[in-house]
Amino acid sequence: MTSEWLAPSTRSELIENLVSGVDRYNPSNVGILEDYLYHQIRSEEYDCLANLAILKLYQFNPDLYNPDVVINILIKALTASPLPDFNLCISLLDERSLNSQLDEPDPLPTILPTLKGLHNLLFRCRFPAFWEIYQSTELELLRDNYTVEVTGFEDAVRAVAIRAVRATFTRISSERLGSYLNLSGSDLTAYIQKLGWSVDSSTSVVTIPPNPDNQIEATVVQESVKLPQLTKIIAHSVAKA
Amino acid sequence: MAQQRLALWNAEEDLEEDVDMTIALDGYSQNVQYEDSHIHQPQIDESTLLAMQQHMAQQAAFQQIPDVVKSFIVHFHQAVLDNNLAEITVAYESGWNKYTEKFYSKTEWPEAELIAPLVNDDPIFLILYRELYYRHVYSRLQPNIDDRFHSYENSCELFNYLLNSDGPVELELPEQWLWDIIDEFIYQYQVFCTWRSKVTSKTPDELMMLADGGPVWSSYSVLNVLYSLMQKSRVNEYIAAQREGKSAEEIAEIVGEYGQRPLYRMLGYFSIIGLLRVHVHLGDFTLGLKVMENVELNQKTPFTRVTACHVATYYYVGFCYIMLRRYPDAIRTFVTVLNFIMRMRQYHTRSYQYDQINKTADRMYALFAMCHALSPSRLDDNIANIAKERYGEQYAKMARGGPDALAAFEELFIYACPKFIIANPPPYDDPAAINALISTSADAESPTQSLPQTDSSHRHLDLFLADVAAQLPVPTLRSFLKLYTSLGAKKLANFLDADEEELVQEMMVLKQASRSISRVTGSEGSSLLDGQMITTSDLNFVIDENMVHIAESTIGRRYAGWFIKNTERTQKILDDLKNMPLPVASKTTGPASGSNPQPADGAGQNRPARSGQKVAWGGVKAA
Repeated sequence: MTSEWLAPSTRSELIENLVSGVDRYNPSNVGILEDYLYHQIRSEEYDCLANLAILKLYQFNPDLYNPDVVINILIKALTASPLPDFNLCISLLDERSLNSQLDEPDPLPTILPTLKGLHNLLFRCRFPAFWEIYQSTELELLRDNYTVEVTGFEDAVRAVAIRAVRATFTRISSERLGSYLNLSGSDLTAYIQKLGWSVDSSTSVVTIPPNPDNQIEATVVQESVKLPQLTKIIAHSVAKA
Repeated sequence: MAQQRLALWNAEEDLEEDVDMTIALDGYSQNVQYEDSHIHQPQIDESTLLAMQQHMAQQAAFQQIPDVVKSFIVHFHQAVLDNNLAEITVAYESGWNKYTEKFYSKTEWPEAELIAPLVNDDPIFLILYRELYYRHVYSRLQPNIDDRFHSYENSCELFNYLLNSDGPVELELPEQWLWDIIDEFIYQYQVFCTWRSKVTSKTPDELMMLADGGPVWSSYSVLNVLYSLMQKSRVNEYIAAQREGKSAEEIAEIVGEYGQRPLYRMLGYFSIIGLLRVHVHLGDFTLGLKVMENVELNQKTPFTRVTACHVATYYYVGFCYIMLRRYPDAIRTFVTVLNFIMRMRQYHTRSYQYDQINKTADRMYALFAMCHALSPSRLDDNIANIAKERYGEQYAKMARGGPDALAAFEELFIYACPKFIIANPPPYDDPAAINALISTSADAESPTQSLPQTDSSHRHLDLFLADVAAQLPVPTLRSFLKLYTSLGAKKLANFLDADEEELVQEMMVLKQASRSISRVTGSEGSSLLDGQMITTSDLNFVIDENMVHIAESTIGRRYAGWFIKNTERTQKILDDLKNMPLPVASKTTGPASGSNPQPADGAGQNRPARSGQKVAWGGVKAA
């Protein structure tokens, strides 16, 4: 479960050495990691630990700070919900001093609250509200400057919704599912088909295939006594015998 | 042994005869003669006069050192020279604390330069002495900026000596001291960063020194020390080799000339724990657990001998798990170590670290209570009961959810969280920027109390509270679902006075809150970050379009623990009974019956009612 998160199969040996070795602290490696981030953005890959390594370098070397990189990292981490990736990234963002020497004004302070809001909606499974806010005019800046560059961003958000739906529902109406995915009509049908879920043509209710989370069963857990619990008693009897 | 040495420090008279003392005094009087020759010169220039005055002051200060302390230092030095671990331990754990209480509870110990003649200017001992000297300043007094800088320099000298001598050094130190060296190093780094981030309270001198501070207590230099110790000792390779069951010779070859020495191996291990701690202070919870990759969290390794280290390890690991939203793992971590502390308590009441361990334990009970409210489990009722007892009011609020809960979570988080630091200093090297910062901070101070600059714990608190807030409706939802086996979403929404669609989304949160990544038991040898998705709640449900179906798994009554406990108790009672002298009449005295079982028979005759039992005892004894 966590192995893909700890070491994605797409991670190269070079990156692995940076992430796991002492070289992660070497400021001259920041370029390699930043390139890797942009590679993730283009090719729908995701490597949380490598991105955290960038933030770590920024934390220790404020001169390296690049707000665009930070924002992109946060956008990638956003769609890892409900995993804590987004919070882990925020934890590493130390408060900047006022005189950050940048050529342009730092966009992060204005975008950060927006991203936090979006993360909160995703974490609280408020998918329709997420889409509404994400598409509002206030967020035009974020969409046009950042998420548009992140290949498959909207699909990644949908994947968050799908994870929640798959665990919670056995059947769900198309309308409701559509509101979570921000899809309707033929787009929605195509998307459902891609997932391999079936739609009842008359009621348009979607059936979600059984999985460990949407199977419920009332069970009685019986206690099992393990040998180590009894060692003291047995040892005692043996010693006496 | 301990008694012998205690007697030594108590013997205040015998130090005049001490050989080392005379050597030391010799060295001292030579200095005086040297100064004398200056005095006879016709012209005394100002600098000589100054030096002389300084020397006189030093002489006076030296004379003010109580003789027992001088004697103590001389013996301490000798113990270090002899690499006599037992002697060093007693001097370190009891002697130093004893004289601190007696003479230096409110002032510094004598400066290292002052006592140098006593130890023949032994540079290594003086470094170790300064280590203790500054630690005392930090713990009992208020360190000034010079202390902060000098303690850093001294730490560097110590680590330089250990890491950059020709080959491993011969020095041996008690494990406890080695842990304290690493622990104190990180502590001083942490308080320095906290102190440094408060720009408004600095004097002009301090501002100047901070501007020129350079690498003093920089995060890079601290990490550098810890990583160097780790690598030099090859402790990770050592742990791996141990796990694989390699032979002593193989291990010796793997760890090399440094890693074979206990001093380096222990420092290496403590550095791993130190790194965990530094990363947590810096808010990097994944990296904290990642450096622990090779460390086995169990009670059997020799590394657990230093209790303070053992407790700290679990505290920081548990906290990392909380920030990774892995509450079941956090709970398991805290339960393990809290049980350990409870068992150890009887042995540690007199240890000088007892207070510290107790404080950490208290914080862990608070963290445990938080996790338990977020992810109820039945892992250990004993610990859960203590936590509820200590933090009953807060626990009740947290477990109930709803609006009161957040305040309770906040209170316990702030109480129990580690100190968070900001890795980088404010721009002290840029006078214009720092002045701007000071003036804005001064302005900001009046309307709002907390400055973002000084308060990084609030950043982490906010993140944690956001997670918690998302889960607040969960307890209420659960309590409703418990009453049904199936229930329409609309009906449930009506109960809660909520919109149906909102409620369905909330149900997805409930599902999410009932799942967690957790390190499966029996995964020894895997990283602390490993894990798989598990169910954390007994209450399971699924939504079929608009109908909620609920199933509850119940846990069958547990008998084993009760029977095991009582069997053990019975065994113990039986043993005790067997070991007791035969019963005698209450009038006869103990020693008589112990020395000779015969009177018991007589007593038995006096009280015929018990004679039947007496036979039974005899039978047991014969068997």
